[in-house]
Amino acid sequence: MKSFKKWVALFLVFAFALSVCLASLNAQKAYSSATSSGTKKIVFWHIQTNEDAKKVIQRSVDRFMAANRGVKVEVVPLQNDAFKTKLKIAMGANQAPDVFPTWGGGQFYEYIKSGKVKDITAYMNEKNYKNRFLDGAISMVTFDNKIWAVPVENVAIAIILYNKEIFKKYNLKVPSTYDELLNIVKTLKAKGIAPFALANKTKWPGSMFYMYLVDRLGGPSVFERAANRKGGSFEDPVFIKAGEMLQELVRLGAFAKGYNGLDYDTGQSRMLLYAGKAAMELMGSWEISVIKSENKKFYDNNLDFFPFPAIKGGKGDPNNVVGTLGDNFYAISSRCKYPKEAFKMIQYLIDDQAVKERIQLGRIPPVKGVKLNDSKLQKLSSIISKAKHVQLWYDQYLPPQLAEVHKDTCQALFGLTMTPKAAVQKMEKTAKAVFGK
Amino acid sequence: MLRRFLRINKTKDSGVSERFGIVLFLLPTIILIGVYIIYPIIMSFWLSLYEWDGISPTKQFVKFKNWVDLLNDSVFWHSLTNNIKIIILSLLIQIPLAILIAVIIDRGGKRFDIFKSLFYLPMLMSSVAIGVLFKYVYDPQFGLISAILNLLHLENLAKDWLGDPSIALYSVIAVICWQYIPFYMIFFIAAISNIPQELYEAAKIDGATQTQYFWKIEIPLLLPSIKTACILSLIGSLKYFDLIYVMTEGGPAGATELMATYMYKSAFASFKMGYGSTIASAMFIIITTAGIIAYFATRQKEA
Repeated sequence: MKSFKKWVALFLVFAFALSVCLASLNAQKAYSSATSSGTKKIVFWHIQTNEDAKKVIQRSVDRFMAANRGVKVEVVPLQNDAFKTKLKIAMGANQAPDVFPTWGGGQFYEYIKSGKVKDITAYMNEKNYKNRFLDGAISMVTFDNKIWAVPVENVAIAIILYNKEIFKKYNLKVPSTYDELLNIVKTLKAKGIAPFALANKTKWPGSMFYMYLVDRLGGPSVFERAANRKGGSFEDPVFIKAGEMLQELVRLGAFAKGYNGLDYDTGQSRMLLYAGKAAMELMGSWEISVIKSENKKFYDNNLDFFPFPAIKGGKGDPNNVVGTLGDNFYAISSRCKYPKEAFKMIQYLIDDQAVKERIQLGRIPPVKGVKLNDSKLQKLSSIISKAKHVQLWYDQYLPPQLAEVHKDTCQALFGLTMTPKAAVQKMEKTAKAVFGK
Repeated sequence: MLRRFLRINKTKDSGVSERFGIVLFLLPTIILIGVYIIYPIIMSFWLSLYEWDGISPTKQFVKFKNWVDLLNDSVFWHSLTNNIKIIILSLLIQIPLAILIAVIIDRGGKRFDIFKSLFYLPMLMSSVAIGVLFKYVYDPQFGLISAILNLLHLENLAKDWLGDPSIALYSVIAVICWQYIPFYMIFFIAAISNIPQELYEAAKIDGATQTQYFWKIEIPLLLPSIKTACILSLIGSLKYFDLIYVMTEGGPAGATELMATYMYKSAFASFKMGYGSTIASAMFIIITTAGIIAYFATRQKEA
């Protein structure tokens, strides 16, 4: 009996050791590209978690695999915020996926500086492939005169989406000035409808208001001078004024209750729009395609949008927009064993068929000469073509540490727990620490 | 610890093969603890002396700069205060409530067995699932709580549970209690069932009431368990992370920031791996110290 027990115990130890080994082997497989039985494997992360968008990517990858028998692509869809951390950890652990999405900007530049990203300039110049894309989009991923990623998903700018049924009911007109917008806010508030839906738990949605206020008040140069340390400062009066206007909006009750605790990823702000509890939402134009696939009825009957209005006396050109010309570029990791195949796969993601499918989704692919039949996309496209300047999201433009402080101070402004002055001082102090000047 | 363990066994049976067996069986645990616990702790302390973004191949040695920064970092102290608030409220809410439920279920006998399972359910859910669930429960427009208050015509009581910096922390603590009370409940039920039946019978003969049972028999005999529960709750509260991160990410505006969420954000969102390690190391020191103090404080009283 005793020896039997011993054997059982030994067996358990053995099984345990074996499972640990197997688990670590598996973990290895999930991240890195490994060759097994002659096929080349590419691990591809993306953050298009919307069902329809996910399918478009999968179809492109399937087309690629059908044409390239020897290559297997493992597609891993991830949630936006989870992705940001996961990529960081994977990069630090030298387990980066072969292909991953980026917005360009300071965060991406960190990876480039650390030698984690493959320089794809040569591939992009081959047969002048880069000419397929909007020049502005290519410039967003050009650093040190090299191209580091391919623009794929979407031309996405922040716009104010609104429920046109509600506007019609209360006889409201699309505002062309900020004062008109404030009047709409007051009217809606009086009717018991929240003017804006906002899900600011992750902080970047609220930051859009701040970016637009700064842009309309002082133009793009105010931020550029401060962020690039070229004679500017985050203590510029424009930043303070923007903070004050933001808090004025909060005090007016412009945002539906709960704004600082709701989660954008789980759709808590969109639900307010759908239910008619809130009339507007300032959000990236990707939301058009999200709504189209999530709530077709609302998309057809209620949805419309307008650009952020002009501020009287502001120096900024009201045609300028905040956003990105390639919401999700795809970059190749420098660890990738088959960069050529990976690049080829990315080309399938944005070939003519994929472009067509993306337009169907309600998106504007960042390629030249796209034909849009959908009236909403045509309208969006005309807003974009009028813009002389596209301001990349601050949280992507700034170096990570400063980006976090921007988002934190912004959320505190919304929560009325910090004065605009204290917020800009904190930004400037961190900027000095990060840049050393 | 290990040597003491081995010596105790040696006195019982000093066979060489027996000792070999002990070492063999301990080996996997020792290796696992070494690789996954001891090594990372040492690495954290080591990293806390560096400035490093977590991805670039080079680290910059800055000596104790991170530690000096930490001592002057108001956010860190604020998050430690939040941790302490959680400790106090957890001790005040979780343990008394758990004892009460345990006693009631025990008095109910077999008939109440079903409640043991029912009340234990929250403990079986993952923190992440609980976080997502309560995000919807707390939703100020569509949430369960708002809906109930509306039904009762108590709209004025409805609050912005997770979005208002002044109450967000308490909303989260309520969920933590909901999650952990079942654990302590089962813990106390087990302890109560260990109380010898004779004591009750003796008390019954002396004409004791139900309340006297509770205060004179159950509470004194539960004291060792209560102390253990307090230490567990103390340590758990100091390193709390998952639920808070899912529900509020430490927000709004830092209102629910804890040491662990702040560490996570510093290391993985702000790309300050060195500073994040400093926070982690500080947490290690604080939790270990608190644990040791609590351990000795309660042990003396037992003697």
